[in-house]
Amino acid sequence: MTVNRKAVPWIILGAAAVVAILAWKPTVLIYGVQRAGLYASVAIPMALVLGIVHIVNLAHGEIMMVSAYLTYNIARSIGLDPWLALLPVALVMGIMGYFIFQLTIRHTLKAPELNQLILTFGIAITMTQAISLIFTPQTRKLPLSYVSMSATIGETSFGVYDFVYVAIALLMGFGIKWFLSNTRMGKAAVAVGQNPRGAAIVGIDVMKTYVFIFTVSVILVGMTGSVFMTRQSIFPYVGSPYTMKSFSLVAMAGIGSISGIIYSSLLLGIAEAAINGIRGASGWSGIVFFLIIIIVIAVRAYKGRKL
Amino acid sequence: MLKIQGLECGYGRMRVIEGVNLEVGAESVGLFGPNGAGKTTLIGAVMGINKPWGGSIEFDGKRIENTDTHFMARMGVALVPQERELFPGMSVDDNLMLGAAYIPHARDKSDEQLEKVFSLFPILRERRKQLAGTMSGGQQRMVAIARALMSNPKLLILDEPSLGLQPSIVAEVFEVLKELKKTVSILVTEQNVRESLRSIDRGYVLENGKIVIEDSAEGLKTNPYVLKSYLGL
Repeated sequence: MTVNRKAVPWIILGAAAVVAILAWKPTVLIYGVQRAGLYASVAIPMALVLGIVHIVNLAHGEIMMVSAYLTYNIARSIGLDPWLALLPVALVMGIMGYFIFQLTIRHTLKAPELNQLILTFGIAITMTQAISLIFTPQTRKLPLSYVSMSATIGETSFGVYDFVYVAIALLMGFGIKWFLSNTRMGKAAVAVGQNPRGAAIVGIDVMKTYVFIFTVSVILVGMTGSVFMTRQSIFPYVGSPYTMKSFSLVAMAGIGSISGIIYSSLLLGIAEAAINGIRGASGWSGIVFFLIIIIVIAVRAYKGRKL
Repeated sequence: MLKIQGLECGYGRMRVIEGVNLEVGAESVGLFGPNGAGKTTLIGAVMGINKPWGGSIEFDGKRIENTDTHFMARMGVALVPQERELFPGMSVDDNLMLGAAYIPHARDKSDEQLEKVFSLFPILRERRKQLAGTMSGGQQRMVAIARALMSNPKLLILDEPSLGLQPSIVAEVFEVLKELKKTVSILVTEQNVRESLRSIDRGYVLENGKIVIEDSAEGLKTNPYVLKSYLGL
């Protein structure tokens, strides 16, 4: 493996930070990594649709929320475990994604991006309000015993269930990377992202590529939504912060970088867990989250190059 | 091969092409005219980039007026656009391979075809790992032509291939076109009439959306109007 020489100080700094956190509070590292997994598994589908084919989707977190409600109701009504509901939910989400694209986003592709921004913001509001009307704004949660699994290492005991997010994020991340460089549709998506007109003249069906990528991103974030529901309480507004955070993570990772999402999520997840680990400081975690993003983007803009 | 009859085209309420008839057989055809004459619009209509208002376009005996761009490419029409439309973040190699990857009749022969285009443009072989977006205008034009050829087309359409290039590269590009017309039909739009007349068999002059002259290359060279307006004699 070749290591970029410029990366060496960062690797050393990162390793030092990990050692320092382990010495201070090992749980910070564990919860940080789990949190990073959650952020990454919401943000990676957005990295695909925004970073690769440049469709701005401000309803991303709300789509996750809708999927979580769908999973919740399937689980409640027929008693299916949410993990088993995952596949039928993914199917429904795929159909929904297809129709959202064909009925709305398709018509904004040639217009300035602001139109997509406003359109998908409208979709987000519609979803939140519709769910709020149908299921009331009340918080919902499924009682699942397996989510409170814990493990003990030495004197520290911690919840292990949230590591599923890490697994999902890594699976999605590597899966998408493989898809983009090894399949016809994946290569077409990269080409469409770089130049849609150029893609059409080499024989790529540009519209089909957009439909496919958008639908896949809805399915993926929908699956994250199903898993999200097993652990977190859900309510109609639960998705919107994730739209914002995913958007920021994609910007921080650098447009088009899937591995960047994983690194950025790790940095932010651990930073948030560290703030939460300081007694009385947990209210600052949101501020620190966005502060780090602003610093990273500002530094990168200042250097004038991609990280 | 390509047969355009009574083509009408425009944008919004503005008519750009008014009743154009044009044919390309197994030959190299030039389409000349000043800026704004409608050359790019006409090519756009053939490639399905803009939809014609009226008239007919036939390719290989099939009506193609409302065919999408990617189907035109798969049917064997390759376009080298004025703006080149490369994939700037990909290497020369990747750009070229994409030229063949989505064309059913070219996909399996891409390695052979790659050798062919490298022999036409040896500089691209040296630069195969370079990102297309970091190349000079002239080299990008070569990549665009090479990418079009990778699709093993029946008809190659070039929109102002000499635009913005230094004279030595212009001459090189037209030398390549002269070589290519032995194996593929060519339709080339140009403002640089002097250079392109050497590589074509026949030509049309398009002004204000209408064909005003149609003649062989020899005929155009001696046409008093062409001499005065396009060759500056």
